Amino acid sequence: MSMKKSWILYFIILTVFIGSCKKSGENTIPWTTIPYLITIPPHFPQKLNIPSDNPMTVEGVTLGRYLFYDGRLSGRTDPDSLMSCANCHVQANSFVCGINNPKYTNGHPFGITGIPTPHFMLPMINLIWTDHGYLWNGSISDENPAVQSRKLEDLVWMGIVAPHEMHGDTGRTKALIQSIKGYPELYKNAFGSDFVTIKNTGKAIAQFVRSLISANSKFDRFLQGEVQLTASERTGFVLFMTEQGGDCFHCHGGDGNPLFTTNLFYNNGKDSLFDDLRDRYHFTMSSSDIGAYKAPTLRNLVFTAPYMHDGRFKTLDEVIDFYSSGLVWSPSISPLMHHIATHGIQLLPQEKADLKAFLLTLTDSSFVANPAFARPSRMPDEN
Amino acid sequence: MKNRISTFSLMSQLFFALILSSCHKDYSPEIVVLKKGNLQVNMVHQVDGKALIFDSLTYTTSLGQHYMVNDLQYFLSDISLHELDGSWLEITDSAGIHYVDAETASSCQWLISQQIPAGTYDSIGFVFGLDKEANRSNRFPDPPERDMFWPDILGGGYHYMKMNMKWKKVGMPETMPFMFHIGIGQIYSGNTANPDSIIGFIQNYFSVKLPAVLRIDNNKSSSVEIAMNVDRWFDGQNAFDFSLYPMGIMQNQLGMYRACRNGMQAFSVQNAIPN
Repeated sequence: MSMKKSWILYFIILTVFIGSCKKSGENTIPWTTIPYLITIPPHFPQKLNIPSDNPMTVEGVTLGRYLFYDGRLSGRTDPDSLMSCANCHVQANSFVCGINNPKYTNGHPFGITGIPTPHFMLPMINLIWTDHGYLWNGSISDENPAVQSRKLEDLVWMGIVAPHEMHGDTGRTKALIQSIKGYPELYKNAFGSDFVTIKNTGKAIAQFVRSLISANSKFDRFLQGEVQLTASERTGFVLFMTEQGGDCFHCHGGDGNPLFTTNLFYNNGKDSLFDDLRDRYHFTMSSSDIGAYKAPTLRNLVFTAPYMHDGRFKTLDEVIDFYSSGLVWSPSISPLMHHIATHGIQLLPQEKADLKAFLLTLTDSSFVANPAFARPSRMPDEN
Repeated sequence: MKNRISTFSLMSQLFFALILSSCHKDYSPEIVVLKKGNLQVNMVHQVDGKALIFDSLTYTTSLGQHYMVNDLQYFLSDISLHELDGSWLEITDSAGIHYVDAETASSCQWLISQQIPAGTYDSIGFVFGLDKEANRSNRFPDPPERDMFWPDILGGGYHYMKMNMKWKKVGMPETMPFMFHIGIGQIYSGNTANPDSIIGFIQNYFSVKLPAVLRIDNNKSSSVEIAMNVDRWFDGQNAFDFSLYPMGIMQNQLGMYRACRNGMQAFSVQNAIPN
């Protein structure tokens, strides 16, 4: 065969090959997803913390919800060794484990091998608006030198391997989830591939967690003009919002910041000596951050006892007593704790009751009962 | 005859051509290309002429009170450039509002995207804080501006400035927090700062006009460096005594008034650099 003929033959074969590819492609349904629409409540921030490589989709949130509640995320199948996010993040307690949790005494969670977590839990509410890093010290942020520990998504693999959480390994988790009937299809729906990866697992769970929006408290309805506060609640609100009152709003927001947190970090005067290697200081190495922790949202705080990073206060009354007369000076105390000279804001008993009444208006019972956030009635392999 | 007509015709044509050309010259619109340039504003923060050092108890007021600055955030608005003839140009980019966090470099400098007519300006002006019209609650839903909100019951809108500090005088064992926060003031009917006794509000924002020879050249960027001299907030005509305000000044109009009187002298132009 001459060179010219061989080229013609080669061209014909290539044409047939390409034509056959095109033909089979015509029968392939392209992978598409349905965007998960977030409705921003009135006065809430417009900027959503959604990474560009993990847009929220109905399929992603669906998969994330299954994974969030599936104890096999630990990579184990023995009933005693199952552990999911939901073991500790209990919806009825606004996604903390809760002080009355039958398993975790005093609301302090521990991992699959019994090792307690370094800190108590932060409420898992409205994290789609978190803008200064996750965890009490904000270390899961873009400022973290470890690129694999910067996003909400990254907390999933960290939870799988952490000795005080699932104490597993990602390979085992990946293989187990891959083997469970129904999951590969859910991964394909969400990410276009039925191949289970830890990266996509983290993405899916993060999508579900970002869907956990709470904005239907009495105070929200008050801001919309739908209800009135009682006299006591209003007095408490004034105390909350005034510098010469309780001055809570500078750290915890208020009518101008309905997240009820700035998501910033403060040494709020709990201690004078500091030995926690996970405070804000140990992330920033700035001396002004010694003993500083994220101001948690006050939404749903009726469900989220115990309070503070170390769970030292078991009741809301104890927290109010602390801010009233229990503050301790230290060189790194936040400059916003301007009542330190008197060890607190020195509230009268009635003022304490009023402040508590206001704080309870931040309760969103519909959030803790929302079926969209609850454990699916059936896991993928039970459908 | 033919030559005469021809000559007449030629003369006529020349005459009309001249008329037309002169008409054309007189009535054609002159195309004026406006020459415009840009201006970059750089905010710097100083104490006694040197760069502000945060979180360091190294400064002393004229009353002998030591202080440190932990956070410094504020709004500037209604920036304007003034010409020698008294006319002025209002800068309207970003709705004329700029949030500055002295510890965040990106917020301390901005390029005015609005094209500025070339020329020489003799001063730059701005409002410290937000004027009454601009200071609307909930206009900034997102941080960091959101975190400047000023409670509605105290007048609403936003803090003009948050300077979080600590201070200490001789004999005091410990530094004390101080919130040097300025915004809308309140008038109380009684002696206590009970919000239920508020009978009026005071707009504490003030205008600043700083002499500076600012030259804007066509298609070029000039820059101006404006200094906030932090010490002047305390050492102006109303020497500021931290001990007088143990509860801060948000609900103490006299304290905010004194602070603002000093603050009017706190700004200066450091450099105005064309191109």
